[in-house]
Amino acid sequence: MDYEAQLKLQAHLDGELPEDEAREVTNWLARDREAVALYGELRNTRQALVGHEVGVSLPESREFFWSKIEREIRLLEPPETSVRPAPLLSAWRRWLVPAGAVAAVASALLVGVFGETRIATVETAVDDPAAFTYHDYSSRTTLVWFSYPADEDPVDRTPGTVE
Amino acid sequence: MLAVTSLAAPAPDLKLEALLVWGTNERTSPDANHKPVGPKLKKKLEELPLKWTNYFEVKRIRFDVSPSGSNKVPLSEKCELVVKNLGHSKIEVTVYGKGKQCATRTQELTKEDTLILGGNAPGATSWFAVLRRAE
Repeated sequence: MDYEAQLKLQAHLDGELPEDEAREVTNWLARDREAVALYGELRNTRQALVGHEVGVSLPESREFFWSKIEREIRLLEPPETSVRPAPLLSAWRRWLVPAGAVAAVASALLVGVFGETRIATVETAVDDPAAFTYHDYSSRTTLVWFSYPADEDPVDRTPGTVE
Repeated sequence: MLAVTSLAAPAPDLKLEALLVWGTNERTSPDANHKPVGPKLKKKLEELPLKWTNYFEVKRIRFDVSPSGSNKVPLSEKCELVVKNLGHSKIEVTVYGKGKQCATRTQELTKEDTLILGGNAPGATSWFAVLRRAE
């Protein structure tokens, strides 16, 4: 007996088949011992399960129980925003979306250059074009780097004393 | 109102620490007085996009900056920092090299923050002025 036939027997037992199909299954059961055996086994299993089903009683009324669940679901749902975008915002959005995408790509590149998971920013010092600032938010460290060649360093090789 | 003002404690001095650090790929410093930087600072330096593997403490200066006051911190003969206390843990740091103003930075410096100023030094090495709150 194939799987589909077994399912059909189960459906018949559960009263899920339309009338004509149910009649066919009844006829099939009248002439097939294997089908009768399986049908009996399924019926016994069903009765055993129904007989041992644990009844659950609620301390409150059914309506009150479900209203509590409904309230919880409503609390979890984010409030709907009914503000419609202004026409000016729509115009800005056309510019902001590509700009945001460029910023996102730049951030990704920055993170890729300086580390895989670290969040950091780089900025150029205003009063010295040869200096840039790197800020690592993870370690809360700010580095101001003066990119002069060692010979031209305005700080004049500060640790030169170690040479 | 006057009573409240007179009872309010004056803002404390900002206790800071400046370190002059030498960065190199050499395992040891030619100067025996130089000692490797502490593990906390070493970790911070290693997390920065720097190419050096070893860092040695050349000089350490502890100093206080009074509220709204400023302090000069000579790190070497030709390099000094001027630190202004702007209040609420905010400072303004100006770097002078050979008496010339190189850069000014204003930022918050809490106990967790570290400000590091650095540049290239001869022999493919580097110098760093580390500014942080004194413990």
